[in-house]
Amino acid sequence: MKLIFAGILAGLLTTTAAKAEDMVFTSWGGTTQEAQTRSWAEPFTAASGIKVLQDGPTDYGKLKAMVDAGNVSWDVVDVEMDFAIKAAKDGLLEPIDFNAVPKADLDPRFTTDHAVGSFYYSFVLAWNKGAVSGEPAGWADMFDLKKFPGKRTFYKWSAPGVIEIALLADGVPADKLYPLDLDRAFKKLDTIKSDIVWWSGGAESQQLIASGEAAFGQLWNGRVFALEKDGADVGASWSQNLTAADVLVVPKGARNKDAAMKFLAVASSAAGQAKFAEASGYAPINTKAKAEMPADAVKALPDAHVDGQINLDMNYWAEHRDEIATRWYAWQAK
Amino acid sequence: MLVPLRNQGVAMSVETQRSIATMRMPGGLGGLLPALILIGLFFVVPVLALLLRSVTDPAPGLQNYAALLGDGTYARVFFNTFLVAAVVTIVTILVAFPVAWMLAIMPPALASIVFGIIILSMWTNLLTRTYAWMVLLQRTGVINRALMATGVIDQPLPLINNLTGVTIGMVYIMLPFMILPLVGTLRAIDPMTLRAAALCGASPFQAFRRILLPLSLPGVAAGGLMVFVMSLGYFVTPALLGGTANMMLAEMIAQMIQSLLNWGLGSAAAFILLVVTMALYALQLRLVGARRATGGV
Repeated sequence: MKLIFAGILAGLLTTTAAKAEDMVFTSWGGTTQEAQTRSWAEPFTAASGIKVLQDGPTDYGKLKAMVDAGNVSWDVVDVEMDFAIKAAKDGLLEPIDFNAVPKADLDPRFTTDHAVGSFYYSFVLAWNKGAVSGEPAGWADMFDLKKFPGKRTFYKWSAPGVIEIALLADGVPADKLYPLDLDRAFKKLDTIKSDIVWWSGGAESQQLIASGEAAFGQLWNGRVFALEKDGADVGASWSQNLTAADVLVVPKGARNKDAAMKFLAVASSAAGQAKFAEASGYAPINTKAKAEMPADAVKALPDAHVDGQINLDMNYWAEHRDEIATRWYAWQAK
Repeated sequence: MLVPLRNQGVAMSVETQRSIATMRMPGGLGGLLPALILIGLFFVVPVLALLLRSVTDPAPGLQNYAALLGDGTYARVFFNTFLVAAVVTIVTILVAFPVAWMLAIMPPALASIVFGIIILSMWTNLLTRTYAWMVLLQRTGVINRALMATGVIDQPLPLINNLTGVTIGMVYIMLPFMILPLVGTLRAIDPMTLRAAALCGASPFQAFRRILLPLSLPGVAAGGLMVFVMSLGYFVTPALLGGTANMMLAEMIAQMIQSLLNWGLGSAAAFILLVVTMALYALQLRLVGARRATGGV
């Protein structure tokens, strides 16, 4: 009996764990992870001989479970920056070895002791031209049911973005957003609640807008970029676009820490960042990357829309993550 | 996905116990050992770990349970969970009954084909079937487009992201679990009783209400309770076809675990769900047992 169990367990372990010289990269799937594979993992493997296995989607619960159990099969994970700040505090992450990862050219806004930037993005207002008459000019129009009737789609999970959008639409000046007035935000969101369709992943947001299932929505700029590239009939407004970042982290106790650090060096390099930005429409976190990109690709980046751009406050969110999330889900369930 | 699997796990273990009880295994307790180890390792130990976490994380005490039972949001989610499960159960019974009756009186060869079709749907991936419903039910979906093109409606019907969507999707998934036990019960009813009723001048409706329905009640109860218990723990279908206002317990647990990383609270919620499920299951066993005790229908 014991032997059988040992056999089964051994079998499970060898199939799920990567071989010693391989490493595992985990991200959000879809067009974003494809671009990351092509821009970072493939050049990295070609140069180092270390194979990069792709896994996903990113799941914070799973990450915590792996670290708690001391059985970490992910080596590099793409996470939202507010989570990274919180996770570092909770002891879930390895510190970055900046001897292996050159720091000089990295945008300091998206670099911490436990994370290097993956990319940064903007939330923009996108709409299906067939389903909307006229052009929404900004977030306030998403709350104007008379002028712009129809379903609108927002990001389902508690994360930087929707709360800020509601406050901006309600007339809060950009520099007075923080600390967030949650009561005011939820009151504003209440006015359109029955017309909200939530999207829980990037592909779903694209599907909702492209099909006209939702007339407008708050989308990641890279997803709108991909829709436009595919020839979908969508419009976008960059007015008050909201930036947030994804970062790359190494979970505490990752099996292939050294390989992970080498991977981070390639991913955050000017060349890696330039290639990824060109493929995805997301902005590079390496300050030298734009010089290596074709001029028209640079025009698609959030950097081209700094006028009126608002940086979502990741440190504020990391600090208040749980408290906001509790209220967020309670409000949604009402 | 995990929750329905767990439910099946309960069903299987009870099934195992039942067959053990009736078969009288020759090896005695020794022969049972492998099965007991398996159940212990893969069911009892995880449940105990869950219980332990719910009273120790983040600090020892009952604060997780206090938070769950004292908060209006969680109360609403509990209520939603039972509401959805109840609605799904009732609609499933209403749809399943005529199908089961048809199967019971069909020629056996034809019935086995229809059975095959019903079983086939159970073998198709749950997620695929749920996505198929999304394609059918959404505002720009097949049903709304067809209705609008034929001029029946001029505004799309709200069929998804609400209770309607969840009910349709879940009833579809639950139907086999209701039809199968019901057919068994209906087949056991002597058709002569219905003929006798007709000879005594009962209308078809009276015969149904006074004869067929009471005699089929044990099957309805057994199937209904099974559907209800399974519905309580459903995750994928409500998450995809429902709106946030119809959130069920399983989705809330997923949020606590994945998004809030509050495992103590998630464990407590999961444990409450487990206790309720077990209690209902015990009730079902008593009902089935009672039917056996009275020598069947």
